[in-house]
Amino acid sequence: MKIPITLKINGEVHDVVVEPNQTLLDVLREELALTGSKKGCDSGVCGACTVIVDGKPVLGCMTLAVRCQDREILTIEGLSQNGRLHPLQQAAIDHNAVQCGFCTPGWILSAKALLENTPRPTREDIRQGIAGNICRCTGYKKIEEAIMAAADKK
Amino acid sequence: MKLPNFDYATPGSVSECCELLKEHGSTAIPVAGGTDLMMALKNWLKTPTLLVDLCSIPALNGITERKDGGLNIGALVTLYHLTEHDLVQKKYPVLAKAARDVGSRQLQSMGTIGGNLCQDTCCLYYNRPPMLRQALGPCLKLGGDTCHAVRGSNNCWATYCGDLAPVLMVLNAAVRISDAAGDTVIPVQQLFSGDGSRPCALETGQVVTEIQLPAPTAYSAAVYLKMRIRKSIDYPLLGVALHLALLSDKKTVGNIALALTAVEKAPIMITAAEGLNGKIITDDLIDELAEAAYKKAHPINNTYGYTPGYRKNMARTYVKAAMHQSIDLATGDGGAA
Repeated sequence: MKIPITLKINGEVHDVVVEPNQTLLDVLREELALTGSKKGCDSGVCGACTVIVDGKPVLGCMTLAVRCQDREILTIEGLSQNGRLHPLQQAAIDHNAVQCGFCTPGWILSAKALLENTPRPTREDIRQGIAGNICRCTGYKKIEEAIMAAADKK
Repeated sequence: MKLPNFDYATPGSVSECCELLKEHGSTAIPVAGGTDLMMALKNWLKTPTLLVDLCSIPALNGITERKDGGLNIGALVTLYHLTEHDLVQKKYPVLAKAARDVGSRQLQSMGTIGGNLCQDTCCLYYNRPPMLRQALGPCLKLGGDTCHAVRGSNNCWATYCGDLAPVLMVLNAAVRISDAAGDTVIPVQQLFSGDGSRPCALETGQVVTEIQLPAPTAYSAAVYLKMRIRKSIDYPLLGVALHLALLSDKKTVGNIALALTAVEKAPIMITAAEGLNGKIITDDLIDELAEAAYKKAHPINNTYGYTPGYRKNMARTYVKAAMHQSIDLATGDGGAA
């Protein structure tokens, strides 16, 4: 059973036809070529597929696309505005918080959701906020510093 | 990972949802946050023909204060909502804390209180991809004739690993169950069958729609302590929830409720705690309580991480720690659960 749905992604409306068993991550990557969201574990553990749905960070691999009808989805592709990087993206570069880069889209979106709720986070808040984003290069300290710096600039 | 094929329905009301579930029987599965179900689908442990989306039903995601000062929490309230809700933080900080202990921030945004209660049990021999399951053949939970975790056993020993269940049990919560015939309210512990292969006692066509919490009492406090390897995302290897109500002298036990999770096929109440009511708190009393918990804990070798023996021993340690923390909280500022 194919179902036509409307996805609002990064401010744009996309009409797609999906199978009920397709995950949001697969639709983003395979149907819409938005490959910024990464497929890591595909089992809800690593956080590489984190996207923001209605202001909350969720896992693209654990969300069925068909359940996202008319919800506001933000992926890493929609973060920069008019060619200017988001402060979190700039801070990631400035603080060398990117190594292999695979976890980067995920933790940046987790951090964005954290800063919306907690504009002045403590280090503990940051650690809790990105606890679901695994960085196998283990560059957590730099990631923490980048988020701290981005929060200070806000 | 490719998921099985299924149809998808969005009922507009609880009664419509229950009718759909009843009509399709065991081939339909209700889905709330979906974090537990998705892995079962990805591993082809469940192959429904219809998914019934509970999130399309309005009015199941609110938190309201009851006349008696307790709270009614809709089954679709997310775990994250629990962690940050003012009334939950004020009346039952232990519940906000336990919700914060579940998975990552992303999983908390998706998972719901009703779904967390009704989650499936876990076992290393069951929760893995089809290819890895082939080696030993199907276990009891998959229709085979033996349990791989406890060889020779005729019972499925899959472990219940929910964090909220023991907390809601010691807070004396009730759940509202809805089906096509109407609503019933039962104590939260009756939700668990004690059967590892089918842990939730709901019948086909029934869903949990509300969690009801009585008002916290004076001089009382509750804590939840969770043991796991990685503080961020793991299931508990042992979870201890304790609610302590003192009499007004702040020395005598009015009531102790103690529940454990991740050490049995269901969350378990330690009923021996009731025998301590009316006694003055001493080190001996705390030891007695810890010993009772130790005896009831039956962790088995079906998970990653610590050995069953260590987990059983730690039940003692965690109960003592929970007791000391509760005493401090209850005698501090009048306390709140």
